[in-house]
Amino acid sequence: MPNFQPYLQSPLVNFNLPAQTVPAEASQKVRANELPLMGYIVLRGELADTAVAQAITKATGLAVPTACRFSSGDAGVLIWQSPDECLLVTARNYVPALLAACTEAFAGLFAQAVDNSGGLTTVYLSGVEHVTLLRHLGVYDFESVTPGDVASTVLGKAGALVCRVDGDGVFLVIRRSFADYLWLLITKAATPYRFAVAKLPAAGKSPFLRLVDAGSPAKRPVAA
Amino acid sequence: MFQIHCPHCGATREEEEFSYAGEAYIARPANPEEASDAEWGDYLFMRKNTRGWFWEQWQHTAGCRKVIAVKRHTGSYEIAGSWTLAEGKEHYLKESEA
Repeated sequence: MPNFQPYLQSPLVNFNLPAQTVPAEASQKVRANELPLMGYIVLRGELADTAVAQAITKATGLAVPTACRFSSGDAGVLIWQSPDECLLVTARNYVPALLAACTEAFAGLFAQAVDNSGGLTTVYLSGVEHVTLLRHLGVYDFESVTPGDVASTVLGKAGALVCRVDGDGVFLVIRRSFADYLWLLITKAATPYRFAVAKLPAAGKSPFLRLVDAGSPAKRPVAA
Repeated sequence: MFQIHCPHCGATREEEEFSYAGEAYIARPANPEEASDAEWGDYLFMRKNTRGWFWEQWQHTAGCRKVIAVKRHTGSYEIAGSWTLAEGKEHYLKESEA
């Protein structure tokens, strides 16, 4: 047997964000940090079909969101992506149980749940000028993203889901393969705004931040 | 730049979020086995090159990733409307009958 030891690391591991993290201050007009190693489950199925919608609610305990909105609860955040697709953002630890629950609930339906945890990551962008920064990056009218809204759009050349929970900041759900590019783009565009890699705020009731605290499996050291 | 309404997202978005997907409602020969080479060649390769109102497909690649039908004037770039493929087809057929 070859010595295959898979290990888990954030797509932004090379930026060494934990070491750069400083406490959040009002002088930092744009702050960002990663919510690393969360779980992402793609749910496919015609959402207008009541049987599919009920199965999703039964498996996750979350209401199926309407177009360009998200719903949240104990299991995580359910983001509307298209009339037949939702993205469930959850804690990495919850993934196996949720995936099994969805697969069971979808039995006999034309619907599927797929683990995409390796493919995505989330960045929290906040500070008084965070909307200005988004305007630098994309063509979407970012002021119109109100709490509970999701805008699926392009930032620079990469697609991103922009989710707003409250007025303080937005959560960007981005692809792993573009995480490096987007992080560099954000840090460069944010230079005039006293950019800082700031400590994430206390989770409280925030549907996204709670998931980081809910835990991801311990990172195994890289075996040379 | 165009602003295109996506009937699935229920939102008007910038062209940058969309990808062009060619002419809409190209009818496939009903019986490909019996279609002549000329008919099949027309279906595969020949496209209208209209200056005027034109039915085309756009894919909302950065959003819902659905293909939609858009009626656009290729001269003035005016957009008459956008529909889901099924809804647009009714309008298209009504127009082509007239």
